[in-house]
Amino acid sequence: MSRYFTRLKMKRCYKWGGRPSLCNRKFKSCYYEYVVLCKPDCNKGKWAEVQWFVHFSEVPYNRRKLLGRTPHPQEIFLYEDRTCDGEIDAETIIGSVEVEHLPPDASFPETGQKGTLYFKLCWDTKAFKVVDAEGRHLDDKTPLVSVSVAPTTRVLPTPDATVMKRALSVTLSRVSASAGKLAASEVESGHSASKLSASKFLSRRRRGSCDSTPGVRKKLDLNSEFLISVLLFCTHRAEELPEVSEQTDITPRSKRKSARLVSSRIRKQLNLLNAGEDQVFEDDSGDECFVPSKKDAGSTSEDEESGQAESEDEGISVKKRRLAASCRTPRSSRKAPASARTPHKSSSKKPRTPRHATPGIPSRSLPARKPGNVLEEARARLHVSSVPDSLPCREQEFQDIYSFVESKIVGGNGGCMYISGVPGTGKTATVHEVIRCLQHASEQDELPSFRFIEINGMKMTDPHQAYVQILQKLTNQKATADHAAALLEKRFSNPAPQKETTVLLVDELDLLWTKKQNVMYNLFDWPTRRYARLVVLAIANTMDLPERIMINRVASRLGLTRMSFQPYSFKQLQQIITSRLNQVKAFEEDAVQLVSRKVAALSGDARRCLDICRRATEICEHSSSRQPGSGLVGMAHVMEALDEMFSSSYISAIRCASTQEQLFLRAVIAEFRRLGLEEATFQQVFVQHRALCRMEGLQPISVSEGLAVCQRLGTSRILLLEPSRLDLLLRVRLNVSQDDVLYALKED
Amino acid sequence: MSKRKVKDQQLTVGQCVCQVHRILRERFCFQKLPSAPVGLESQHKHLLELLKRTAIHGESNSVLIVGPRGAGKTMLLKSVLNELLDVKEVKSNILLVQLNGLLQTDDRIALKEITRQLNLENVVGDKVFGSFAENLAFLLEALKKGDRSSSRPVLFTLDEFDLFTHHKNQTLLYNLFDISQSAQTPVAVVGLTCRVDVLELLEKRVKSRFSHRQIQALSPMDFPQYVELVQQQLSLPQEFPDGRFAHEWNNSVKALCEDKSVEDVLRKHFNLSKDFRSLHMLLFLALSCVTPSNPTIKPSLLLEASRLCTMDCKANMLHGLSILELCLIIAMKHLNDHYQDEPFNFEMVYNEFKKFLQRKSHSVHSFEKPVVIKAFEHLQQLELIRPVDGSASRTQKEYQLMKLLLDHTQVMEALQRYPQCPTDVNWSD
Repeated sequence: MSRYFTRLKMKRCYKWGGRPSLCNRKFKSCYYEYVVLCKPDCNKGKWAEVQWFVHFSEVPYNRRKLLGRTPHPQEIFLYEDRTCDGEIDAETIIGSVEVEHLPPDASFPETGQKGTLYFKLCWDTKAFKVVDAEGRHLDDKTPLVSVSVAPTTRVLPTPDATVMKRALSVTLSRVSASAGKLAASEVESGHSASKLSASKFLSRRRRGSCDSTPGVRKKLDLNSEFLISVLLFCTHRAEELPEVSEQTDITPRSKRKSARLVSSRIRKQLNLLNAGEDQVFEDDSGDECFVPSKKDAGSTSEDEESGQAESEDEGISVKKRRLAASCRTPRSSRKAPASARTPHKSSSKKPRTPRHATPGIPSRSLPARKPGNVLEEARARLHVSSVPDSLPCREQEFQDIYSFVESKIVGGNGGCMYISGVPGTGKTATVHEVIRCLQHASEQDELPSFRFIEINGMKMTDPHQAYVQILQKLTNQKATADHAAALLEKRFSNPAPQKETTVLLVDELDLLWTKKQNVMYNLFDWPTRRYARLVVLAIANTMDLPERIMINRVASRLGLTRMSFQPYSFKQLQQIITSRLNQVKAFEEDAVQLVSRKVAALSGDARRCLDICRRATEICEHSSSRQPGSGLVGMAHVMEALDEMFSSSYISAIRCASTQEQLFLRAVIAEFRRLGLEEATFQQVFVQHRALCRMEGLQPISVSEGLAVCQRLGTSRILLLEPSRLDLLLRVRLNVSQDDVLYALKED
Repeated sequence: MSKRKVKDQQLTVGQCVCQVHRILRERFCFQKLPSAPVGLESQHKHLLELLKRTAIHGESNSVLIVGPRGAGKTMLLKSVLNELLDVKEVKSNILLVQLNGLLQTDDRIALKEITRQLNLENVVGDKVFGSFAENLAFLLEALKKGDRSSSRPVLFTLDEFDLFTHHKNQTLLYNLFDISQSAQTPVAVVGLTCRVDVLELLEKRVKSRFSHRQIQALSPMDFPQYVELVQQQLSLPQEFPDGRFAHEWNNSVKALCEDKSVEDVLRKHFNLSKDFRSLHMLLFLALSCVTPSNPTIKPSLLLEASRLCTMDCKANMLHGLSILELCLIIAMKHLNDHYQDEPFNFEMVYNEFKKFLQRKSHSVHSFEKPVVIKAFEHLQQLELIRPVDGSASRTQKEYQLMKLLLDHTQVMEALQRYPQCPTDVNWSD
């Protein structure tokens, strides 16, 4: 019995006056017409609890007699089936309609109230029953009812939200015109003649959607109006795919049914065009439609039946249908990993859209300790991760970027800016600060609202993933790189009213380099489009990146709005440290100055500066535990930290090496001096080594041991060696300067 | 093994020796952690405090442990982790991810392994599905969602850190270090490497994000400490079942370490390397000769073990050669002496060999040329000679340029030790 219902996997959606607006297949195996929103559940976010109602047309045909009367056009039935999902995505709700409960013996009110639907009975898939009102969530005259099925644009890669909206509105207007007729002709399921053309349409459309190229879609979109409704239908098909993968035997059947339904819709619309034609639909097609199922193989025989009953051309459409079915499989299998990710979902009886795994780290069982003393407090403040209230020493750059982005947002046009600077000069931090300020301003309604998207060349596996990430952050849809590029291209080149400006931050731009440079080209080309309203802020390390790696057409699109962040001077570094410490007295003045001078002389990297300060606080903590001092980080501590970070580890490594290893290094230098080259074979060095052993009064070592010594020095990269298969002939080079080696060896 | 449970004060010698083997083998072969890190106390303290701060305060850190092979880097990290996980506050909070550059040879594998070890929500059973890009995005998203105070700190240990720097774009390292420098999930990244120049391998952006903390696992150990360590490694613990035997054993070990010849052996090893592993090898070889009939380590055992350890493998190979092959080697050595290590080919060697036969061929038969070629090829297979790089393989076998992979001294030594070497073969002068 339940087979019947799976055949009827569709949902009819009603507009305000209870008029069917579009035909739809939702993602579940139950069928329903009205979705009644009982209460929007705040805890669950987007999910809304619903009750399902069914229209008379959805009751299986051979059961309709059970009602014993003709249904009122605005009558619906409470649908009771455990397989229905009690929750739906709140975003699929598009509007509200009033549903009124009437006692079983009451008569229907006049049809003047267009916005109200009535229900007396409930349909439990087998029979009609009287509704016991007190058991329901909604009492009589409940006004809080809404009708679901907004086109969820995020599910499938649909061209554009606006396009979809247009399509929807077109469908609505078309169908509302035919609404009066519909109530009377609910029963019709598809005329034999119309069915053929409909199935052709359907198969063509399906093949189109399998390709899922926006081009095809667009063409369909522009083709004709009733195709648009089909298109909508198609987007919803995707939602049921996880379900399809579970119950594959049903698929052809339900598809067949859907074909009917679509054909009926198209039929209706066609009818509307030639208004003379009316009410010709026979029940025979309906009969065939509800033939009890005969397993999967039955679908073929059914097709044959219908082929006999109808024209010869049916065979073609059957083929097409099959083609479509075969096209579908890869799609559903592509979805499979998503459902595999949450196996408990598919096993549970309640079908639900597969919730994707949410990324997250388990939370700690004990809360993190707060910094206890001044030094710990200072350390927390000095950590690079702690976001300062303001960015000192970058006021000019901040102002420049701010005014650039602000002018673009206000003007509603696009543009590019290239920001360069060595690592650790606050490029990304400044841009983030600018965005924070702009977002604040737009919250205060001083600026039009805008979207901020950030991508990082280092945080993707392949330059083309940039498209995927941008698309995902922009519209929350997932697509392959090529598809995402096409969608973005469309999005940025199509005019759309009320589009807000998008600010795109591209960090580590140089990693988006590809051979054809098409990623970079697109990123800088989109802002030049008239309707794009895209501002691109590109960050990289080298100042001359556009000249060095970009081909002309890319560099030209990037434009000349450039900014370079100079390395911090020692005064700026000092200011950064003091502003971060912000009245926490943990450092002596001189100590801060020493650190900043040292770092400024080397790289001007603020990260390095903060790390050294942090290490100095640790050293201070150490030493104060041994001997109580002032408790402040002084020169000595900073010196020690600097030593640790900047001292060459080669020298300490050589000093701690074994005697033979040190001797070998001496031999290497002696051999280099003899040859006058910076390279020698092991055999040559070994001769020297043996001589040195004799001089030092050590027992000479064998060749095997000598090689082992040499290899040990090679693994720590004090020596650079050729591969060891060369044996005696492997060439040896020093990775340290000779002076350093001699210096390290002189001490002892 | 079950003997251990018997709390008998008087075990037989055989049982005692069995116990000794078990205890010492655990130390030498299974890398059992010592009770305290020897010679690395300050490093131990530094690392422990660093990781504690991550676990307790949620402070992100990154650190590299650098030291030559066998210096005790892994031992240091393991003992710190052991100690860290003993603290209850830490144990329930920290997540541990252990990676090895030899196993996770690229970022794709490494990401899957991280996700698996963190047991994120996209892990099904023991597998991680999805593409590389998806996995990366998922992991980054997961780590980004956390914050300092509420999410569990994640401790990444990257063994063979230098191999991770060869991954494409150093994506993994960039992201790990970037997380450690931003207000996301607190992480501690501990890298272990034996390369001193590891910082030069990091890309400039990655380098800037690294905190530049390096812990040098170098111990300036001198010889008395080394001997003490040997004694410590060989001594039996207090809780050895048979107290009397343990006492005797420990005394004998003490006497062993004071022996003059043993001291020479140990000094030679100390001079070669301060590496623990080679020391363990030496002690293990000595230990394996301890039997119930010979229940102590005698100096002679240690000498024998040392001889085995320091044997020259090439010279040993020469002992197995035939007279003809040995003659060819000697001929090559002569050529090397005459032409200052210039490469030679078969014809040159053959001529030299024929000259020798003409001069004094009393015991050596004159061989056919094909036989000599065969012997020459055998030497090449043994890699006692090898073709010079770049000498075209097109040239005829007889004229292919070769080099001898034996040192002058190795040949001389081998000739002296060759069993029943005919005196007239010894024309190496």
